[in-house]
Amino acid sequence: MAHARPIATTRSATGIPTPRLAVWWILASEVVIFGGLLGVYIMHRIGHPEWAEAASHTQTWIGAINTFVLLTSSFTCVLAHQAAEKGNGKEAAKLLGFTILGALMFLMIKSYEWTTEIIAGYTITANTFWSFYYTAAGLHALHVIAGAIIMGFIAVDAFRGRELHRVEIIGIYWHFVDVVWIFLFPLLYIAK
Amino acid sequence: MSENNEHNGEHGHDDGHHVNYFKIYLLLLVLFIISVVGPEVGEFTGLRWITLITAFGIAVVKARLVVNNFMHLAWEKRIMKWMLASSVVLVFLMVAGISPDVMNHEGNNWENVAAKAEVERGLAYAAGYSSDEAEDEGEAEVVVAAGFSAATSYGQICATCHGAAGAGDGIAGAALDPPPANFTDPAFWADPARDRDRVITVIRDGAAAVGGSALMAPWGALYTEEQLEQVADYVMSFRPDA
Amino acid sequence: MADTVADVHQHEAHGHGDHHHDQSWVSKYLLSTDHKIIGMQYMFTGMFMAVIGGYMAYVFRMQLAFPGISVPGFGQVSPGEYNALITNHGSIMIFWVAMPVLIAAFGNFLIPLMIGADDMVFPRINRLSFQVFFLSSVVLLISLFVEGGGFGGAWTSYPPLSASGDYNQTELGATLWLSAVALEFVAFLLGGINFITTLMNSRAPGMKAYDIPLVCWMIVIASILFMLSVGPLIAGAVMLLFDQTLNTGFYDPARGGDPILWQHLFWFFGHPEVYVVLLPAIGITVDVMATFARKKIFGYKMVLYTAVATGVLSFFVWAHHQFIAGIDPRMANVFTITTLLISVPIAEMLFVMIATLYGGSIRLTTPMLWALAFMAEFLIGGVTGIFLGASGADIYFHDTYFVLAHFHYTFFPIAIIGSFCAFTYWFPKMFGKMMNDTLGKIHFWGTIIPFNFIFIPLFVLGMGGQHRRIYNFQHFPEIAGPEYFQLRQLATIALLVMLAFQLVFFYNVIMSWMRGEKAGKNPWKANTLEWTTESPPPHGNWPVDELPTVYRGPYEYGHPDREEDYWPQNLPG
Repeated sequence: MAHARPIATTRSATGIPTPRLAVWWILASEVVIFGGLLGVYIMHRIGHPEWAEAASHTQTWIGAINTFVLLTSSFTCVLAHQAAEKGNGKEAAKLLGFTILGALMFLMIKSYEWTTEIIAGYTITANTFWSFYYTAAGLHALHVIAGAIIMGFIAVDAFRGRELHRVEIIGIYWHFVDVVWIFLFPLLYIAK
Repeated sequence: MSENNEHNGEHGHDDGHHVNYFKIYLLLLVLFIISVVGPEVGEFTGLRWITLITAFGIAVVKARLVVNNFMHLAWEKRIMKWMLASSVVLVFLMVAGISPDVMNHEGNNWENVAAKAEVERGLAYAAGYSSDEAEDEGEAEVVVAAGFSAATSYGQICATCHGAAGAGDGIAGAALDPPPANFTDPAFWADPARDRDRVITVIRDGAAAVGGSALMAPWGALYTEEQLEQVADYVMSFRPDA
Repeated sequence: MADTVADVHQHEAHGHGDHHHDQSWVSKYLLSTDHKIIGMQYMFTGMFMAVIGGYMAYVFRMQLAFPGISVPGFGQVSPGEYNALITNHGSIMIFWVAMPVLIAAFGNFLIPLMIGADDMVFPRINRLSFQVFFLSSVVLLISLFVEGGGFGGAWTSYPPLSASGDYNQTELGATLWLSAVALEFVAFLLGGINFITTLMNSRAPGMKAYDIPLVCWMIVIASILFMLSVGPLIAGAVMLLFDQTLNTGFYDPARGGDPILWQHLFWFFGHPEVYVVLLPAIGITVDVMATFARKKIFGYKMVLYTAVATGVLSFFVWAHHQFIAGIDPRMANVFTITTLLISVPIAEMLFVMIATLYGGSIRLTTPMLWALAFMAEFLIGGVTGIFLGASGADIYFHDTYFVLAHFHYTFFPIAIIGSFCAFTYWFPKMFGKMMNDTLGKIHFWGTIIPFNFIFIPLFVLGMGGQHRRIYNFQHFPEIAGPEYFQLRQLATIALLVMLAFQLVFFYNVIMSWMRGEKAGKNPWKANTLEWTTESPPPHGNWPVDELPTVYRGPYEYGHPDREEDYWPQNLPG
């Protein structure tokens, strides 16, 4: 009884439904978190030209593949939203499933990538460039994992035709994770 | 003004926009390919601006496409566009306020000696380490800085307590009990246990590690073994009979 | 049907004080998603942490006034322990007292009630935010007792001292402290989502933006400020955590890092943070003043817009904490100008308070006394900040007790006076009983008068050159003379008196809760929506089909068209 949805949640004085309003605010705070971290990295990178040597050892092609994987997962995610809009829960769940598959591929590729780098001696303490590399990409990967887990729950609900509006919400979050990677990729892999 | 909107999910896109998601996706892929190929071209031709525009400029365009079309921000109420824009602006503000201190290593009346030394060291390391060898090399080594000076380091770190001439008369040491060691005092060196190895140990692990006062902190985090030996030698150079 | 629902709600409403309830105690109190109970949870946790922070102040002030004695209830204070006490006193008072009480406790309790909603929009996230917060307080308290002792690197935690266990000698304590702070940030990010979306979306029908009581606006603006400023520090804290535990070199200049970076990241958050706690306190004060001057706020929109302006400006002043830290002196010029500028909107808000009081029909109840004291004491704090904002003067004042007295003259009104003001004002609504006004006044005077005797001596000592974060001034002959020690002892004795008078408050709370006069719905004859429901409000706040509709603003006192001198927001016509 205490967990019934309050009337407060259903009101909308702004015209934006409350869950969507909430996820935009979450993104605003995430922008400052990632923006802060990446801004700090950029300042250091510019001030330390000698990091180019360390940065030359990042594996651009693996990063590029991961970029493609995430872009595609964003595509399947927005298609899931389209299906949910039409009320087709099963289709939405299937497309969310593909998105989660994309996330898993991303994580597996990244694990392989990091393993090869750590074996080669490029650990988080090898050089401050690598410290930033692992911290930034790691924070991003944590968000990928969290997003995939929540997406799983929403997909299960959607398959049963319930709470279809949440597909859009997790979608907005997922696209943000993609956007962060769109900036991480050139910063960590291309800027040598 | 406020709707009691029971059906939160079916808000619909009642403003009638239709986005062709597949077209946007294809556009994103094209941009992505350019953003990977472009820097290669830029490196090959040596024209850095090509790399910058294709890598970063395209990143901005791709992000806008995703944000506007996939996240539907283009059709969202203005208030949220303003809030998200503000958070982006704040990041730029933060960078603008911090960069004069963090990005630069010198400015109006100041110089970041340690950072400059680190840059020099790293460039020297990179120069003596050709990109061919990089393919085969297994380890990333830590190279002792060519620019390390025990005297400079002593002046920066030790002299505040032990004095510029090693006489234990540094200003920060005046209030300490026991007082900092006076390296010019023969009585200090009279104890046979105080040999070069002991000096290295005390600098690295602190005096508490050899039963002395915790006021002499451990400094091992700052130095490599070779650097520790150089600083110890410098300390011992204050001995009256040295 | 509605009657039965109302009956059930009424029955549950009695659960606050006594012991017959329908749900199990665990699900009703420990795991509740009701915003009022979560607000209480934050309140009591914050009050408990305030006692701990106050105890720490007692111990270190005893050491400073009587160096080397064995402090009753603690023992001898070693230098390391002294550092841990001052570090944790500061951290606790800001993160575990001011923020949870002013924002989380009162925000949770008041916002849904004042906007006519039945709960926050995300009750389960609300509960999660308290659980994360509670975990953060547990982690902090544990950090005090681990091997090596509590972290002693100041609440600002500058590296390399905070980054290296070799330097700070409290490796485990430092990591736990940092983790506790990080968890607290997460808790307030989660809570902030609820406050912001609830205020934006869940208002009662008819409640336009300018009909919202100012305290709600202020808490939400504060939440937005917090969300936008804490991001870079979260990134920086992750980096510091890695420096502490993984030996990375983010803040190590010998490895390409920069300690000044941490300072910038910390203060980029740290300065907006003080406005995060100031704005709710101003909101509380202003609402209480309107009620007890029986007069509308002199400039509602003025206060609202200046609050937003203060929030925006607060992002441009942060490096005034770093004037002599080695930042580029050209930046110091910029930050001096912006710092002096920010005093203008805040002064405007104080002028609005004075103008509201002028010509009002003033009732000197206990909450009103606290509100007036806020104005007077914060004024002193604010003007002393001007000295510090001028970079030239700051060269002398930085790190002296002048700074410390300045920020206690601002923080104490915010965290302590503001909390007591809110607590004594809304106690009848929260607990259904009236507090004893005489005891309230005794407690008030017994807090305010000693407070000034603690910190005015510290201004004098600061001007005399006494530095902060020193555990024994006997080591500094220039300021170890008897006249200096007399000032220190005066401050310490005043603190003892002030702490003693807090017993009056606790006694009043408990006696009033158990045996106080029943409060009724609207004992203060105020206009805002929380006074239209039962005291304490039932689960759901109003019967489901009786949620209020709003017809006017919140401060229609002394309106010529009305016989009574107040006009509740929910009365039609």
